[in-house]
Amino acid sequence: MKPEVKKPIFSSYINNPALFDEVFNNDGAAKNVYQKLLDLYGDHSIQDYVQLNNKAKSSFFNQGITFQVYDNKETQEKIFPFDLFPRIIDEDEWEIIERGAVQRSRALNLFLWDIYHDKKIIKDGIVPLDLISSSANYLHQMIGVDPPGGIYNHISGTDIIKHSDGNYYVLEDNIRCPSGVSYVICNRTALKRALFGVFNHYKTHSVTNYAENLLDILESVKPKGVDVPNCVVITPGMYNSAFYEHSYLAKAMGVELVEGRDLFVENDFVYMKTIRGPIKVDVIYRRVDDQYIDPLEFRADSSLGVPGLFAAYIKGNVCLANAPGTGVADDKAIYTYMPKIIKYYLDETPILNNVHTYHCSRPNELKYVLEHIHELVVKPVDEAGGYGISIGNRLSKAEIKVVQEEIKQNPRKYIAQPIMSLSVHPTYIDDSESFEQRHVDLRTFTLLGNKKEFVLKGGLSRVALKKGNLIVNSSQGGGSKDTWVLKK
Amino acid sequence: MSFEYSVTYSAENNYENPVENAYWQFLIIPENNDTQELISVEIKNSLEAKGGFSQNGFGFQTIRINTSERFQKINFSATFKLKKISFNPFGQIPIFDIPSNYELVKSLNFKVDHEPYLRETKYTALPAGSENLFVFDTSISIFENLQKLNKWIYLFIHFNTGVTHVNTLLEEIINNPEGVCQDFTHLFCALAKANNIPTRYVSGYLHQGNGYFGDSQMHAWAEAYIPQVGWIGFDPTNNLLVNDNHIKVAHGKDYNDCSPLKGVVYSQGANKTSHSVEVQAEQ
Repeated sequence: MKPEVKKPIFSSYINNPALFDEVFNNDGAAKNVYQKLLDLYGDHSIQDYVQLNNKAKSSFFNQGITFQVYDNKETQEKIFPFDLFPRIIDEDEWEIIERGAVQRSRALNLFLWDIYHDKKIIKDGIVPLDLISSSANYLHQMIGVDPPGGIYNHISGTDIIKHSDGNYYVLEDNIRCPSGVSYVICNRTALKRALFGVFNHYKTHSVTNYAENLLDILESVKPKGVDVPNCVVITPGMYNSAFYEHSYLAKAMGVELVEGRDLFVENDFVYMKTIRGPIKVDVIYRRVDDQYIDPLEFRADSSLGVPGLFAAYIKGNVCLANAPGTGVADDKAIYTYMPKIIKYYLDETPILNNVHTYHCSRPNELKYVLEHIHELVVKPVDEAGGYGISIGNRLSKAEIKVVQEEIKQNPRKYIAQPIMSLSVHPTYIDDSESFEQRHVDLRTFTLLGNKKEFVLKGGLSRVALKKGNLIVNSSQGGGSKDTWVLKK
Repeated sequence: MSFEYSVTYSAENNYENPVENAYWQFLIIPENNDTQELISVEIKNSLEAKGGFSQNGFGFQTIRINTSERFQKINFSATFKLKKISFNPFGQIPIFDIPSNYELVKSLNFKVDHEPYLRETKYTALPAGSENLFVFDTSISIFENLQKLNKWIYLFIHFNTGVTHVNTLLEEIINNPEGVCQDFTHLFCALAKANNIPTRYVSGYLHQGNGYFGDSQMHAWAEAYIPQVGWIGFDPTNNLLVNDNHIKVAHGKDYNDCSPLKGVVYSQGANKTSHSVEVQAEQ
């Protein structure tokens, strides 16, 4: 019998010199941190890799880790595509990311405190009043309210990319209900199951400590007078795209996962219904958006919230994480002021770069955007999940016209940025049965509590699976990789 | 001089199908302020459901009722006794430094401090082209302009019940100027704001002893922020400055922040709500 010919895994890898490859230099040599990994993978063929990759994927099936993709007609249940070839970040690079992420979270928290109290940054002319007064996420009900522990953005998801210049840039600060952390942990589990022998050769920081740190942070913002707080996670329910994550986090923290109907408010205190009677709730990690948390205060048609919850919150009897009204700083138009916001409150220079951004609300910038759409990414300021993004160099002339009209109709709704060339990472592609370069970003998770902060040493490296695609969001068909942060 | 009022608010809710569980929030309690003092509150409901006091997001006291037994009909009533101090609305008006007042309202600090009441809202958004319906004459004081605006709205809108409803937008009012106190007030807020004056929507009760419009329902008027003075109440429905016949409950950006009754009812099918208000002076 003739032995099957086994191809080494990177035998047909094409390294496009125009792209920033995180693993290989232009001369084809592997970068230092990856050398050991490639030596270890070197013994394997592409067929072995496929087998291992499938094994890892089945671990997701077994755990039921799925999400839903919305489009106009239907919703679909999908498995988040996973690539077994990990991304490695060395300790020096990680230190920059970590310090940068903490810096941004702290600055955003101070910004939120300010715009709901003295509004100094606006009076000093740093941030225009219009950005606040035209934001639907600015909650007047939060003016003058002191959130427990002084914290608004307990949980931040900062999206970072490595540009072809080798530097890290922040694309977005997600501080409403950023999701994805459960995938970080599941990716690690799947990778370790499939490739423990490889993983073991590196000194990598654990990611499973996220839940205990989250619980710590939540407990640190307990309402006044509470000794041992009772924390819960509130979810919109099993039809939410991140339901798996809500249930995972509740389980990992050892707290109850509840829906709105499981809670009730009496005399401005919040209780959970249990078979042994009501139990008071002190801290709520809420994965329900502001407008749905309390039908008596916000959207009356919401069945996801708890009637009376907001009054309990402003009376200081319960803590909500993240705080209501935090979304105003999640606006992509606010993002452009981040370097100024950091300077204003912390008197520091930003550790992580911002991508240059054009505001369509400013007439001269609008003009530039309308004339240069083919070389810009146009984004709506208030959408998440990669919805509504237009990448100029992928558009036909007719499509550009449509985008131009759309922007002219509602300039405040759009910002534009130069098309950033995200770094690429070798990713196994089913169709070609080989590794190919794919663009990646990194979502980091930063926690902010009362005199406590934590950055998960790891993150969600999201891969755009379609060749050349720059949008990595899972809702746009992206996949992910395990991300190793090395210990010193 | 002061005198006492007794205000009774009653509501009746009928549901087509049995309701398993319901929460209501009533924003109907007269607030305590410089000119009025709440003496007592008495609340009754036909189901003897649990009730209590809370507050809305803007700090105004609310009544909460929660039922847990099946029902199809609930009657609710509340009686408030309060002391009202009589006052002369013109008594507090100083000599205005007119140019500096207009400069102040255009300054950034002023706009930042009053942002909530300068912002356009759903019910106070002027349709395109009507921003200049009423333009202030900057040779006279803001206070005088607001009095003129008050009168202008009083004459512009014809008081008529049953034409508009709680969701009526200004476009409709401007095209067909008929409506009730809520519509008068929204238009007042919108046009004052268009002239840089922070203005808020007020809900409350009107003692109708003098033949004012206001019906046997809750009443609405506006409060505008005037430099050198503070918040002053204007009742465009009656072309009046707010006086001791006006009993304030709450304010907000528009009706949406002040709606007297909000409910979350776990039931299907139609429902019918009716409420009435009675204000009596007890001198």
